[in-house]
Amino acid sequence: MSDLRSSIESAVPARKKWRWLAAAFAVLLVAGIGLAITRGGGAGAGAGAGEPVRGGTLQFALIDYQRSPDPQWGSNYAESLIGNNITDKLTWQDPKTGEITPWLAESWQYNKDLTEFTFHLRHDVTFSDGSPFNADVVKANFDQYVHGDTKLGILPNGASLLAGYIETKVVDDYTAVVRFDKPLASFLQASSFTANAQPGFLSLSTLKLSAEQRTDPKKVIGTGPFVYESWEPQIKTVLDKRKGYKWAPPALRHEGEAYLDRIVFNTIPESSVRTGSLVSGTVDATLDVGTTDEKPLTAQGFEIIHRGVSGTAIRFDFNSSLFPTNDIAVRKAIQLGWNRQTVQKTILTDSYSIATSILEPSVPGYVDYSGSVLKYDPDQANRILDEAGWVAGPDGIRAKDGKKLTVKLLGINNLVVNKPAYESIQQDLRKIGIDLQLTVVPIPDYTAQQAKAKTDWNITAANRSRNDPAVLNLQYGPSIGNGAYLTKDSTGVDVAAVTQALGKLELTLDPAARSQYAKEAQDILLDKYALVNPVYNPSQVIAQAPYVHGIIFDAQSRNHFVDAWKSDGK
Amino acid sequence: MLRYVALKVGRAVFVVWAAFTLTFILLFVLPANPVDLLFDPAEVNSVPPEVRKQVADGYGFNEPVILQYLGRLGHALRGDFGNSVQSGRSVSAVVVDVLPHTLILAVGALLLALVIAFGIALIATSTQHRWLRNLVESLPTASVSVPVFLSGILLLQVFSFRLAWFPSFGDQGWRGLVLPLITLAIPVSGPIAQLLVRSFATEFRSGYVTTSWAKGATRSRIIIGDVFRNASLPALTIAAVTFGNLIAGSVITETVFARQGLGRMTQTAINTLDLPLMQGIVVFVAATFALINLIVDLIYPLLDPRLRATLSVSTARAA
Repeated sequence: MSDLRSSIESAVPARKKWRWLAAAFAVLLVAGIGLAITRGGGAGAGAGAGEPVRGGTLQFALIDYQRSPDPQWGSNYAESLIGNNITDKLTWQDPKTGEITPWLAESWQYNKDLTEFTFHLRHDVTFSDGSPFNADVVKANFDQYVHGDTKLGILPNGASLLAGYIETKVVDDYTAVVRFDKPLASFLQASSFTANAQPGFLSLSTLKLSAEQRTDPKKVIGTGPFVYESWEPQIKTVLDKRKGYKWAPPALRHEGEAYLDRIVFNTIPESSVRTGSLVSGTVDATLDVGTTDEKPLTAQGFEIIHRGVSGTAIRFDFNSSLFPTNDIAVRKAIQLGWNRQTVQKTILTDSYSIATSILEPSVPGYVDYSGSVLKYDPDQANRILDEAGWVAGPDGIRAKDGKKLTVKLLGINNLVVNKPAYESIQQDLRKIGIDLQLTVVPIPDYTAQQAKAKTDWNITAANRSRNDPAVLNLQYGPSIGNGAYLTKDSTGVDVAAVTQALGKLELTLDPAARSQYAKEAQDILLDKYALVNPVYNPSQVIAQAPYVHGIIFDAQSRNHFVDAWKSDGK
Repeated sequence: MLRYVALKVGRAVFVVWAAFTLTFILLFVLPANPVDLLFDPAEVNSVPPEVRKQVADGYGFNEPVILQYLGRLGHALRGDFGNSVQSGRSVSAVVVDVLPHTLILAVGALLLALVIAFGIALIATSTQHRWLRNLVESLPTASVSVPVFLSGILLLQVFSFRLAWFPSFGDQGWRGLVLPLITLAIPVSGPIAQLLVRSFATEFRSGYVTTSWAKGATRSRIIIGDVFRNASLPALTIAAVTFGNLIAGSVITETVFARQGLGRMTQTAINTLDLPLMQGIVVFVAATFALINLIVDLIYPLLDPRLRATLSVSTARAA
């Protein structure tokens, strides 16, 4: 500043206002932080279990949102979860035993070939618009579910679940026969299916609506224990209790209507905001709990409930027709060459488990291979590779005929533990001379790359939720999913034998025979041809306040709220 | 002058058309078959081929590329970008639905950022304490370097989870807007404040200010009466340009605060490769930018006599 100006200004008394403002601001800031620290606290004391209390609103948080209220469509957890609470299925699968039990169908028979399934329906079920649930409704639903409707913009959502569907015959009002062009034992389980693109029944009025019209939640009518109150994409879906509901699956032993008046499914994409909202009491329970949040939340008095996702484990599907995974020695060495304890201890929490078969333990027919094929035995792995002629190079990576033992893996990053688990395996395999290269990407990129999996990727890594051993046929059957890319180029694999062994799973519903076939299928996939390396069993994890009770995990580990209640009844 | 207007309008139209065409090309350059993306990735291998064909036919993916392009362009001209693959809703309806949420956030944050920026510049210029001036002048740099993500979470920790003054997620009236606005305004205010501090300082040292001092004006009177007005114009210009920053910042802000909006919708559309939706959003954002630029271009000659003079000279020469 010029001297002239300074001297002019110093002649004017200085103003002190700014100082006061700054002081006031500082005081406010300190007060705020002080208050913040004292306000911190746990979830508060919760009443114990006991008699269910009726009423109240459950504020539930999850990572996804429902992109459309149509439950037969949709492939994320929010969509299947909410769909499960506004629609019902023909049957209910016991999550513990895998047994198929009655629901909207009181009983059923099937022919010897397992191509015709006759369902005898309950007589007292109605949709929330008052229209009856009957055999016509079953037919209309299955027809559209399998074939879609191009004019209405409805996709053939059920085409892969009900493969080979011919028609549904209406015998009388409450008897429907579902027919297939080839045996489909897994259809009985499919009639209870609760995961992505599920066969929950919609009213005839809803089936007439286009995909666009079905984004008006009030027009999406089901028979479930809850009905849509509102749907705000990206934000939340609100469900109200269905008055007069009395057909919960008998296996649940739940009488009458749901206990809760209302459920709000809040979409909160950011993990720390979900946990923060739970701790501060804004939400009562949250799905998609991060592995690092489980312990702190437990310490603060929240309850962690979880269930492994039934179906296949997260697994490495080996491409059996591409070098170097076309060599069974390489596949066997990868199965034996990584330390499962390290992954369990350092990466997974108690809510997750290391895979001991390709099937998750709750799937009927599961066999434990942890003592035989699926164990950590680097010496054995080294021996197998030595015998097959893989020689360690100067960088420690083995090679054969001048070609390096480099294995390219394509995985999905939608589950937080995937990448760390794969990295742990990568480190272990390096020690036995295998160079595992990881590409772990979001779902659409994975889907895009998967189209080139046959020629470009040695391993694709994913899981599939389907609580039925026939999932092995769907996933690996050479003429269906063909997860191991079996061709006549697959060295040393008898493709016809695999087709036959896996195909048997669709041929019988006799539990003893099915268990035996499931074992044969697992033997072939894991032991005989080593077509897959199971990694870990993913899990759905919920953290809930102590006053929340009765949230059910079903056979596919999706949640049902018909039996849920809050002991504070708020 | 007419030529100038035609040129600018033509450029705006070209930008929008280019955005449309580029997103369309993306559709065919991307490694994904759009039909695959309609199914659960775990099951996509078991979808029967005839079902695939049926779906492809339904969406018109089997027609020749040029026909698909012309068809989509024709519809787009009428404001119809097709239906979102992921929800079945019309793309234009979806965009129009979320637009107000993002606009309120963006405009509100811009206004707040201007208030913060002017506040910083005023304090920096008017204070006679060197430490306070240094502190305040360092704020813009700090505000730009703090990630939106982090400041959002910190604000939530204190004011939502601990103090429970504001909701932590969702669109719940004005209370739900406070924290997102602050979060988004902080980084945007930085560049504006920096510019203001500098131009305030420059103006403060200029000759006419000394004249005012000499006339006996007080410091605050000089700042409000002379400096403020003259130093504000460049800041307002940069504020308009900052619009892009706001849209980009809204992606994170809307995610952290679980708000409905264009930013989060863009992210979802990309995550699910919902191409019609992506195309609709890209074209819409391009059109908005083109429009803002067009308005600025057209207003400029009205504000700046020098540019007006140049234009009339060149028009005269051309004629």
